[in-house]
Amino acid sequence: MTELSDELLVAYVDGQLGSKQSSAIERVLAQDDVIARRVKALKRAHRKLEAAFEAILAGEEAEAVSHPIPPSPGLLIPWDTVIKSGFAVAGIVVAAILIFAGYGWPLSTPDFASPRAGPDGTDYVGSLPGDWREEVARAQVLLGRASLEVGLDSQGNRDFIAVQIGRAIGRELAPPDLSAHGLRFTRAQVLSFGGEPLAQLLYLGTSGGPLALYAKKGGDSSEPRLKRYGSIGGVAWSQGGVAYLLAGEKDEVSLLKLAEAIRKDGP
Amino acid sequence: MQAEEFYDSIRTGLIAMLPRLMRFADILVGERRAGAALLGRALGRMLAEEHCYQRGTPLDRWAFGEIYRLWLEEQRDYGEPHYESDDATFAALVHNASGEAPDAFITGFLLSLPPPQRLTLLLVYGERFDHGDAGRVLDVSAETISARLLRISAGLADQLSERATAPSVVSVEEQYAEGAAA
Repeated sequence: MTELSDELLVAYVDGQLGSKQSSAIERVLAQDDVIARRVKALKRAHRKLEAAFEAILAGEEAEAVSHPIPPSPGLLIPWDTVIKSGFAVAGIVVAAILIFAGYGWPLSTPDFASPRAGPDGTDYVGSLPGDWREEVARAQVLLGRASLEVGLDSQGNRDFIAVQIGRAIGRELAPPDLSAHGLRFTRAQVLSFGGEPLAQLLYLGTSGGPLALYAKKGGDSSEPRLKRYGSIGGVAWSQGGVAYLLAGEKDEVSLLKLAEAIRKDGP
Repeated sequence: MQAEEFYDSIRTGLIAMLPRLMRFADILVGERRAGAALLGRALGRMLAEEHCYQRGTPLDRWAFGEIYRLWLEEQRDYGEPHYESDDATFAALVHNASGEAPDAFITGFLLSLPPPQRLTLLLVYGERFDHGDAGRVLDVSAETISARLLRISAGLADQLSERATAPSVVSVEEQYAEGAAA
């Protein structure tokens, strides 16, 4: 019998091991019935826990959807319950007043049941991707034939890029120079949203994730508006018949400064 | 800059994840009503102190941490656990849409664990946080999370294996049926 610790097996079942280690354990599993039974038991334990947590979440969602509550804070909980619960339940009421003061009650909409969608229709980006296939399939929608027409070999030619993007969105857009802000232009491509071309210009700093400037034809002129999508911040504005979105994992001050710099240069 | 809209996005995020927050609070205290009350107080504090939220921090991680911190503070204030839960109230949390009966063994197992250990399981297997993020919520190291998971998973696997090898009620009754010849 091969000696493998529970620590290693739990890490394997949790998917915490690298591919080489996982492969090594799988080879052992194929040959050692005792270890294979242990892994099977650990997997069964994990499945049971996952199922229990899923059931609890389903219960919370069902509870929320089946009890649509009017926005009046006094009706959030039946009065007799409020009286019985005293101080503890009063905490909910206070919180509810604070929450619903700006938004009204969201539970009446079916979308509330989804933990990853905000009431304004934007996806909320938490620390966890829900299902990678879903996320990737959603991203795939943005790709069209034109996405690959701005080839990698022409990424250094800003004039060529400006022309290519201009053909797509109806207005030439040379990649703004953000080097004064520590960001270097890396590449551009033309995506597609709702059948319309959407330009994406990508920048990279010395650290952190990429910064993207999106540009799409249309939109009345508007001042920059800041919005956050989980860890991603975005500044949206319209200028010269083109709608822009500057997005990245940056704080609001940096994003607004960058947006101002781009607007001033008038892309 | 439209600061209000920016700050509103935290409210939006909290509303969008309310069922997850409710589950977290319920599992922490082991009971729905007390969990809802704890969540209510935590939401009130989060909204009142949302300036403490650092942009770029995943909102779910921050919100779970806030609920947990409030619970810890209240535990300290009371001096002893003041939420009482039993098998029935905890089992009432676990029901699925088709109304199937909860797995009594698993609910009993979860209830037998101290709250921080229950939350460790929830964050890793329910929320699929990595060990580092789970540790940040519970204010412990990733190594502590790994050690807890090892202990709990191995224990649960052992108990499930024992159940699987133990003779079932049916087979016991078949073997020792009333009136059967000794």
